[in-house]
Amino acid sequence: MNADDNTMLVQAKGLSVRYGAKRAVDDVSFNIPKGRVVGLLGHNGAGKTTLMKALVGLATAEGELAVLGLNPRRQRVQLLEQACYIPDVAILPRWARVEDLITMMSALHPRFSAERARALLRRTSVGLSDKVKTLSKGMVVQAHLALIAAIDAKLMILDEPTLGLDVLSRKAFYEMLIDEWCDGERSVLISTHQVEEIESLLSDVLMLNEGKLVLSISLEDMERRFVGVSHDAAVAEQIAAAHPLLRYRTGTGPAGNAAIFDGAPPEHVQALGQRMRPSLVDLFVALTRKPELDRTHF
Amino acid sequence: MSKLVPLMQREWLQYRFGWMLMVLVPFAIALLLLAFGQIQIGPEHVDRVGEGLAPMLAMAAIAGSSGVMFAIASLSSLIIVSSIARRDHADRSIEFWLSLPTSHSASLGAPLLVHLLLVPAAALLLGLAGGLLVSMVLVGRVVGISAWFALPWGDLLPAVFSLFARLLAGLPLALLWLSPLILLVVLLAAWFRRWSWVILGVGFGLGGLLLDRVFGQPLLSQTTAALLLGAQQALISAGEGFQMGAAEGLEGLRNLPAWALHDFGLALGKLSSPLLAGALLFSAGCFALLVLWRQRGAGAAG
Repeated sequence: MNADDNTMLVQAKGLSVRYGAKRAVDDVSFNIPKGRVVGLLGHNGAGKTTLMKALVGLATAEGELAVLGLNPRRQRVQLLEQACYIPDVAILPRWARVEDLITMMSALHPRFSAERARALLRRTSVGLSDKVKTLSKGMVVQAHLALIAAIDAKLMILDEPTLGLDVLSRKAFYEMLIDEWCDGERSVLISTHQVEEIESLLSDVLMLNEGKLVLSISLEDMERRFVGVSHDAAVAEQIAAAHPLLRYRTGTGPAGNAAIFDGAPPEHVQALGQRMRPSLVDLFVALTRKPELDRTHF
Repeated sequence: MSKLVPLMQREWLQYRFGWMLMVLVPFAIALLLLAFGQIQIGPEHVDRVGEGLAPMLAMAAIAGSSGVMFAIASLSSLIIVSSIARRDHADRSIEFWLSLPTSHSASLGAPLLVHLLLVPAAALLLGLAGGLLVSMVLVGRVVGISAWFALPWGDLLPAVFSLFARLLAGLPLALLWLSPLILLVVLLAAWFRRWSWVILGVGFGLGGLLLDRVFGQPLLSQTTAALLLGAQQALISAGEGFQMGAAEGLEGLRNLPAWALHDFGLALGKLSSPLLAGALLFSAGCFALLVLWRQRGAGAAG
């Protein structure tokens, strides 16, 4: 994600956010240029929500941070007039009707289009006269997404936006996001645990692990840099000797093994199996796993 | 400022049904009671007032309606305001509100303005309007409906409106006097939730008692009493209360506009008080802490 400074919507350098003694975000540096769809990946507690809050001025950060050329903490209101943000808890006021929310958003957000919000809501099962407290969780998320997508913003920051939505609604939202919202000038920063679903939409990825940025890369560069080798179990020891980032099983049977390397492995290692493109999920596991933690048991 | 109006509109959207009930229910009860209940006025009172009975009844109905409506609205507003800082945490919509381009100070200031100033003022106005209807039913039942139409409106309306204007003009002044107490409650509720009332009770009750009995410094109780007195005088009767003999009738009512104007002047004069200056500084400090609380609370949820 390198480009001229004037094309950057987000510039973060040495960014840290502390909660008491704990560093929720630790010395993070990255840029987001125009026209990108950036995935923010990380385990629970990795610092994704805190980073997003810092980007919209809701958390105090140390280091250098400019979002749309503004200081988020000092110019939060101006920033939120040009950006839209869905916090991780997609909760709308329970007392309000959907039409009330449109009325309020029209008055409070200079770039909000009530007409567009109504058009987006017509695609859902949410009615304008429905009270939020009568909607299911998925319908609340749909209403919230429609309100946010009706903002003509330069930057959209979405923290787990599709949590609680069924697969059809998730697909419909992502299609709308890419087909109708992203226009080459606007950028989206999106965090989700449903990595497989959004991998094809992303242009870039940021990976956080325990507050640290372990990867900031475009998907094109990721494919060039990280190499997967699928191999038989019989050659597993030789593969392991080449120190891959991760070894994992891709299926059942002796052929169902794979390894991910940072950079092309030596020729003799590549010759042990078949070169493959590692998925974002596998790479995420490779870069953020903690072998000492067994995440299959809670 | 441009965001203040939409934020105030939010209050209307959120509380409109409650407000409508707050207005309609007392009037409905009053009208039903007056229309179908028994009204007894002792003959000695009738004799004393004489021909002034109908105007006095009308005036009492209008003033009473306005007063009751104002008291109900003020009480409900104080209850709402005491938990205003945390209300969006209660239904977990705080994240939604924080994602909108509004400043923390406007988000806190708008509801305070609406509930403490606009709602009581609107209640006074509606009490006045509804009081006309109540007066019609009351005068109609006691003297006859034709007496209501024959009331000396030329004398009555200036008296009613001057009283209304006096209360309305005094309301913001009363709020200045009460602001340290109100904002302290809001601040404590923000920081300590339900413990706020305990802290307030212990602070003012035991603290005041301790200062008074042990140290001989009744500062806390005296200051609180002075603030409450200041608020009452700002609202009405800053000087001598309005005196009107029963026999004076309409003559007495004619003096009301001049008295109201004079009384408001006295209330304005009482603003130049070192106690009020200190109270306003304290209020500004409380509001700044509330803004800081909202700002910090915004990040702490992450």
